[in-house]
Amino acid sequence: MKKRAVYGPRRWAAVLLSVAAALTLASCEGHEDPKNLIPQVEEAKTVVNLFSPMEKIDPDAENVARTASDLTVAMAEHALGVTVDYNTYTAENYQDKTYDEVSLDRARNNMDDLYLLNPDTILTLGKEGKLMDLSGLDSAKNLRQVVRTANTVDGKLIAIPQEVVAYGLFVNKDLFDRYGLRLPQTPEEFLECCRVLKENGIETPVGANRWWLETFVFAQAYAELYNGENAEAEIAALNSGEARYSDYMRPGFEFLQTLIDRGYIDAEKAAVSEAIEAEGPDFLAGKTPIVMAYWGAANTETAYGKTDFEMQVIGFPSALGQMPVIPMTGLAVCVDAEHAEDAAQVLNIMVSDEALQIYSDNNRVISPSKNVKVDCVPALKPLNDRIEAGVYVLGSNAGMNVEQWGNTCLIVRELLNGATVDQCMAAFDELQDAALNAAA
Amino acid sequence: MKENLKRRELPLLLSIVLVFCILGTIVYTVSRKISREMSSSAIQNVNESLDLIQSTIEAILGSEAEFQVLIAQEIARVEDPEAYIQAYEKNQTMSKMSLILFGKTSGVSNTGEPFTEEGLDFSAGGTVKGLPVSQSYLNYMGTWSYTMKCPIERDGKIIGTLYAEYVYDAVDRSLPDGFYNKQASLYIMDAESQRFVLKPKGMGQRNAGHLNLADFYRANNIQSPEIQAEVEACLKNGENLLFYHDIRGVNALNYMWAVNGGTVFLVGYVPVEAIQQEGRTVNQNIVIVVVSMLAAFFLCILLYYLNWKQQDKLRKEQEEERKLHSQQLAEALQAAQIASESKTTFLSNMSHDIRTPMNAVLGFTTLLSMDAENPVKVREYTKKITASGQHLLSLINDILDVSKIESGKVVLSLEKFSLNDVVSSVDAIIQPMAKAKGQAFHLEVTGIRHEYLVGDETRINQILINLLSNAVKYTQEGGQIWFRILGLKQRSSQYEHIRIEVEDNGYGMTPEYLETIFDAFTRAENSTTNKVQGTGLGMAITKSIVELMGGTIEVFSEVDRGSLFRVDLELRILEEQIDRLFWEKQGLRRVLAVDGDPESRKSILALMKDTGVHVETAANPEDAIADVRKSGRDYQLLLLDRDTCGIQGIQELREALPVPILLLVEVGEEEMEEALQANVAGILTKPFFVSAFREKVAELWTKTTEEPEPGDSGSLEGLHFLAAEDNAINAEILAELLEIEGASCEIVENGQLVVDRFRQSKKGEFDAILMDVQMPVMNGHEAAKAIRSLEREDAGRVPIVAMTANAFAEDEKAALDAGMDAHVAKPLDMELLKKVIRQVTQRKET
Repeated sequence: MKKRAVYGPRRWAAVLLSVAAALTLASCEGHEDPKNLIPQVEEAKTVVNLFSPMEKIDPDAENVARTASDLTVAMAEHALGVTVDYNTYTAENYQDKTYDEVSLDRARNNMDDLYLLNPDTILTLGKEGKLMDLSGLDSAKNLRQVVRTANTVDGKLIAIPQEVVAYGLFVNKDLFDRYGLRLPQTPEEFLECCRVLKENGIETPVGANRWWLETFVFAQAYAELYNGENAEAEIAALNSGEARYSDYMRPGFEFLQTLIDRGYIDAEKAAVSEAIEAEGPDFLAGKTPIVMAYWGAANTETAYGKTDFEMQVIGFPSALGQMPVIPMTGLAVCVDAEHAEDAAQVLNIMVSDEALQIYSDNNRVISPSKNVKVDCVPALKPLNDRIEAGVYVLGSNAGMNVEQWGNTCLIVRELLNGATVDQCMAAFDELQDAALNAAA
Repeated sequence: MKENLKRRELPLLLSIVLVFCILGTIVYTVSRKISREMSSSAIQNVNESLDLIQSTIEAILGSEAEFQVLIAQEIARVEDPEAYIQAYEKNQTMSKMSLILFGKTSGVSNTGEPFTEEGLDFSAGGTVKGLPVSQSYLNYMGTWSYTMKCPIERDGKIIGTLYAEYVYDAVDRSLPDGFYNKQASLYIMDAESQRFVLKPKGMGQRNAGHLNLADFYRANNIQSPEIQAEVEACLKNGENLLFYHDIRGVNALNYMWAVNGGTVFLVGYVPVEAIQQEGRTVNQNIVIVVVSMLAAFFLCILLYYLNWKQQDKLRKEQEEERKLHSQQLAEALQAAQIASESKTTFLSNMSHDIRTPMNAVLGFTTLLSMDAENPVKVREYTKKITASGQHLLSLINDILDVSKIESGKVVLSLEKFSLNDVVSSVDAIIQPMAKAKGQAFHLEVTGIRHEYLVGDETRINQILINLLSNAVKYTQEGGQIWFRILGLKQRSSQYEHIRIEVEDNGYGMTPEYLETIFDAFTRAENSTTNKVQGTGLGMAITKSIVELMGGTIEVFSEVDRGSLFRVDLELRILEEQIDRLFWEKQGLRRVLAVDGDPESRKSILALMKDTGVHVETAANPEDAIADVRKSGRDYQLLLLDRDTCGIQGIQELREALPVPILLLVEVGEEEMEEALQANVAGILTKPFFVSAFREKVAELWTKTTEEPEPGDSGSLEGLHFLAAEDNAINAEILAELLEIEGASCEIVENGQLVVDRFRQSKKGEFDAILMDVQMPVMNGHEAAKAIRSLEREDAGRVPIVAMTANAFAEDEKAALDAGMDAHVAKPLDMELLKKVIRQVTQRKET
């Protein structure tokens, strides 16, 4: 027994050393290919180019919308064995071409396969026949009717969104509470709130940019149209010229003019400000109590996803109370692009129920698919409640012969740059006439 | 010792630490050197890669410029240059071609619309192969592009300017898909506007930092004014720049690489890990090698340590063993020396002790020969010679006993015995001795539950006699000696646990002597005990026998205060204790015992428990009388303690209950006489034992019918023996002694002659054969066997008694095994011989 105890560890040590030596020698031996030393290259994959805006604010902040979108892209890449490349553009400043302008240029020149487009661009490109009809995609069958309606031009479904973008007013509830203010329902109440806030030393109660002030206009213009019983007839009257867009738009423009006149909006600053970039920091700092933004901004750190105060997202003031404004953004396939078919398949996966569930779970947004349900963050509850109740206005409607989202935005900019309300209304009339002439 | 060890270990430890430090420094230096070299090589590699890309882009720009010059020359040759332009289709490289004829401000484009130079900025002065190149801009296709202009000369005169717009996508197609395993990022920046005109396109490339140089700085936190200043200088001078800066927490090599003399820059970064992969691998391998070597080193040390520890353990064990051996040797030597000394002392003592009685024997023999005529003196001398002989014999017996015990030859002969017999025989021997010295001898037996036990009675006797005779010997005249037998609590129901105590108030022993009292050949000697004769073997023998019986012996003693020897023994209880039938047969059913000592009463009850006789006890005569009168029980016998009852009490009891009385008395003649005067049926000496009681009862109940046998051992009158004895003197003594007893004897010299003589004898001629064992020709055992095997009717019956100096138990056994009937040891004890002969002759007769 003693002998075993003495020689046991030695024997083990010897075995271990031998094994170690053998392994070392084995590891030294390389695998040499006698024929070709070039590492094997993967087969070239089909590349689908996706044109989308780039992030401009903070490289480290979490952009859940983008993360969610990337997840669905990865899903498509995995499923189809393609590579999706991002071509990006964001304007450096207001003097640069806008994202919409560049997307129009690129789509018209077939530069990319897949585009993330704003409502006006969708309508423009759709009318030019540059976008593929997506109604044949499997995923299109699950879309909510409102989405389908807003994105159908000449009977073609030309874009499919990954989220239903609802715009609302983002208010600093703490400040409202501090000054004993109720969240406004009507334009009058809104003006009263602004008055109280301004009297309390808040220089500019409403933070604005050159893009999104039109939401105020849409809320007042179409609250009754979209929430009444004669929407189709009213739209038909507009398309036939029996009714004038300017009549609908005027109250909203006058309201904006009042805000500008009373100093509740800094028109000059707004005219050259990019969305969120200009008004965001002041809102987060508690200096500006009211801004306007899209639903997803309440979830995104790069926007208003992380505030130090209680934030509430409500609809825009209208005669019918708080009114969410829903324009339809969407992903569209350039019909003449090099990889249009592949792009359509990528899109099919990106807007499948499975992908949209992932997207909505990550981003907490209203899904365009009727099959996908998701809970929203508490701040969005007031806005969500209205949407769930079916109370909202559309910011874009492919069924109207005058493009709404882009044109209204441009005309509001005119107002910001000093045009009168009448001049702005004349611009609408001009657009309507042009549309009527074109139809004729 | 420990300090010494520390002093030795410290330098060794320091040396090891030093060696490791040196090794570590070397490894670190080598590793750093490799890293530096690798890093420098990696930087070189990055340089080369960027140079390659730079060359590629410059080549593209150059080709474009050359192409444009060729087109310009072509246009110069055509008649309608504007028509040529409008007919020209755009291609992948050139997205737009325009012409402004000399002297005009607007011209035509191949895209159809009118063309002016408005919107094109040539102010930076950049050229490609001499052609001015504009600042980059977003073209009508929504992609970044630049325009070069080229004069169109015809016959030495400039007829217009050719503008060609090129898109960066063309450059992008010519660049590698990615370098450094796609970990490096690469932007193309327009130097003038600092806009990024070509960007990475992979997934996740939509984060901030892609817009322009300022955005890149902000996104990657390159805010150091020094770096920014260097970058500015590079941009200004069209130079290259490489610098280290962390990009999102990753150490990276950043670059700013001038292309086309600085109109365009390559901007980007590559993680250091990506460019130093080999260096890291090499360092990792170095670490693996070092760690393996260290592991091997420590393994070796561990093995060495284990081996050393094992050796050390073995060495220590050997040392221990050696030490133990040395100690054992020393002890053995000491023991041998002590033994030698003891034996020398013993021999000296023996010499003295043997010579003393021998002197007496020889002296008295001389006197005997002189006073042979005076019968009185002859008797006196012979008596003294006998005493001296007896002493010599006991001396020799003791020596033999020790010798046997030491050689492990002692065998206990376990037989049934009665404690009563032991006590009686010991008492019979010691009482006279004590009396002779005027000592009071007290005997107490208490708590004994079983009287009949199994053991070696002879050896127990030997123990008791040794202890008691010592007590008598070593107690001054008129001293006290107590002999107690105590029944202890039984440990097993099958064994009686007995304690024997022998106490005296004699000389006592010194503590030093107490330590050696049980060693052989020692004897307490001082002026007082010098006169005591003895072999010094008694206690050694006693202890050995006690231990042989599984018992213990202890001794307590103080000089001049006395000694106490305590022997504890466990003796097996005889299963069939007492013959119940005896008591039934005698018809004895009820007995009344009167004893003042409660212990005695308890003892009587315990001992009588199994007999079937109902015993009642009373503490005094009055109680006994009251009990008799009250219950009217018909006791058949009264057992009265003499001391408790007194003469008066006995008398009263006799009147109250007219049955036979047995009186329990202390040992002593006076009391016996007194007891006899009390006119009782019998006397029992204390302590009470059932066997003695039984004998008395048997006596009482059969007194009338049986007469006592005359003589104890009987006489040899008229008997005729055949004896074998090779020693003539012994033969003569035997013949004489037998003749004195009235017997005759025929003596032959060896076994063969005995056999022959017996064969020739008539039937019944010899009453017995007395057989010596050690004889020439044929020994006694063989002779006995031969006789027994003779074909004679009386060959099996004739008593053969071994008569030999071989006195051990095994000798007796050997004799019996050889067919002899009994064994008598020499020297001859005539009384014993007579008894034995009587027994064997009677047995044969029956």
